[in-house]
Amino acid sequence: MNIRDVIKTINQMQAKGVMERYALGGAVGATFYLEPVATLDVDVFVSFKPEAGSVIVSPQRIYDYLTARGGTVQGEHIVISGWPVQFLPPASPLGEEALAQAVEKDVAGTSVRVFTAEHLAAVALQTGRAKDKARLLQFIEAGVLDSDRFQAILTRHGLTAAWRRFEQQFLRDQP
Amino acid sequence: MTFDPAKILESKRALRRDLAARPIAEKLALLDALRARQLAIRPAGQSAAAESTGILHEEPAPYRAG
Repeated sequence: MNIRDVIKTINQMQAKGVMERYALGGAVGATFYLEPVATLDVDVFVSFKPEAGSVIVSPQRIYDYLTARGGTVQGEHIVISGWPVQFLPPASPLGEEALAQAVEKDVAGTSVRVFTAEHLAAVALQTGRAKDKARLLQFIEAGVLDSDRFQAILTRHGLTAAWRRFEQQFLRDQP
Repeated sequence: MTFDPAKILESKRALRRDLAARPIAEKLALLDALRARQLAIRPAGQSAAAESTGILHEEPAPYRAG
């Protein structure tokens, strides 16, 4: 079980043209900015190209490549180096922007693209499960968000009302 | 050791800051270790499929089309 092997495999897939640009999101992406928190899978956001003659985007090429090399498909995941990995197309303009503006990071000599902290926080707000709210609080408490950039993302993607509710619920000083 | 809640909370915050500041390779290795631990302590009644593959599942994030 080695998440760095997952990153290397994904980089190889990109280099071989199996998939276009990618970026890590979710808990693994957040680990680049915060303390590590247990997670069960790796979220990889990818621009999918439609197959020739089709308008439907599909992760089939990725699955074919990985299963030919010993990967196992488990529901929505494919297992690489012991980690269930989910390849996701950006499902909203926010996701598309997060993927386009992802930043290059270095993991002991291996490069990897990761959502910015501000996009990870905005996606967490938009997704809105309890654990996403907890992650958003982590980002705020850790002080890693550029406030101007974060607010601009919220405004661009219609999340200001959700942010106000979040502030009311979790960040107000008085009970 | 202290039983002062303020000091306890501050010490937890300090630990979190320390973990967050570690090199990313080290933090990713910690994710590996946390996942291995989750698999080790998963409920005995986990489904046969999960047992055979070592895979745990969680609710997928409902990433929204907007």
